[in-house]
Amino acid sequence: MALPTMSSVTPEDTTLSPPPVESPAERIEERAVRATLVCVARHGLAKTTFDDVAREAGCARATLYRYFGGKRQLVLITTAREAARIAASIRAAADVEETFEDAVVAMFVRAARELREHEALQFLFAFEPEVVLPHVTFDAGNRFLVAAGSAISPAIARFIPAERVERAGEWLARVALTHALPPTSPIDLTDEAETRPLVRELVLPGLLHSEPGT
Amino acid sequence: MQVEPRERVLSATYACVARFGMGKTTVDDVVKESGVSRASIYRLFPGGKDQLLRETVGWEMNRFFTRLAEAVYEAPDFAGLLQEGLVFAHRSIQEHEVLRKVLETEPERLLPLITVEQHRVLDFITAFLLPYLEREQRAGRVQPDVDLGAAAQYVARLVLSLIGSPGRWDMDDPAQVRLLVREELLGGILV
Repeated sequence: MALPTMSSVTPEDTTLSPPPVESPAERIEERAVRATLVCVARHGLAKTTFDDVAREAGCARATLYRYFGGKRQLVLITTAREAARIAASIRAAADVEETFEDAVVAMFVRAARELREHEALQFLFAFEPEVVLPHVTFDAGNRFLVAAGSAISPAIARFIPAERVERAGEWLARVALTHALPPTSPIDLTDEAETRPLVRELVLPGLLHSEPGT
Repeated sequence: MQVEPRERVLSATYACVARFGMGKTTVDDVVKESGVSRASIYRLFPGGKDQLLRETVGWEMNRFFTRLAEAVYEAPDFAGLLQEGLVFAHRSIQEHEVLRKVLETEPERLLPLITVEQHRVLDFITAFLLPYLEREQRAGRVQPDVDLGAAAQYVARLVLSLIGSPGRWDMDDPAQVRLLVREELLGGILV
């Protein structure tokens, strides 16, 4: 059972906001996604069955099957929806800030809190790291960083020259990822007081600096 | 030259993984390959196969980063050191046949072990970089108020990330690597 790579989430997907009125299909999908997350947080991905999710969602198995056609598809959709939701949450944290520094600090803190409070992901990190790591390291890590960078770029576009936005988005995604994954960082990104000096002294100057002659 | 039994066992485990993969390698294979007795192997590695595999991953990571350090230690300055190091490490990873094979066939076994062993690599890179940063500071090339320890940690973490996953950066293009090092990595550190 494999999770989808994050590259399957395009920036377009992640900028969609939910429609004001939900169709029955969307309500079913929403319930199934919630139920999948609850089951994974409780038992992990390997032990979660399609039946578990149906029971947790309060849906007939046949209904759920008509919409998703199996566990693999359910996990793909859950991952894509969660990635889009977290990306939107991170952009929203930046949108209410006035300065580049405040926006980046807010994005790091929000990203780190989203991860820390994500019970399903925390279970996977602790007990089934083999499920997550193949999607965020080495070659898959490239796709993850590019996708995550593109997803957050709109939130920083008003602070830096257009030609550096995508580059900066990827760097911010990289800094956040490398401080969130093991080995444990001495800097706790959920703590604004610890995050601000990192952003001010090390991260932002790298995004704003232009090397002469390049 | 007499090779320590521990070293012989790790090197033999590595050879077995290259041949059979992590899942299929057995302690008996390592006995045959190393010429070290089963009893001695369990004395050295009481955790058996799991411990052998974990320590072999750590052993190969040590070798990898030791070769990297040897390749770059004479670089003219800190930025040059990072540029050379990133290019060398990227090429070594691309050409690392055992790593490529296991990443392809058994990533779920390998990646958690790499993650467990990574903290030592991070400490190694941080300790390796710090004296170069101190030299830059003595030469007046470090921005005022930079905490060298924190800067070395930051650079080590990001370098490790870039070695595994360069993202959009083309590590075969010296101009791009130069830009990456002098802007993203060192923009807040060097003057």
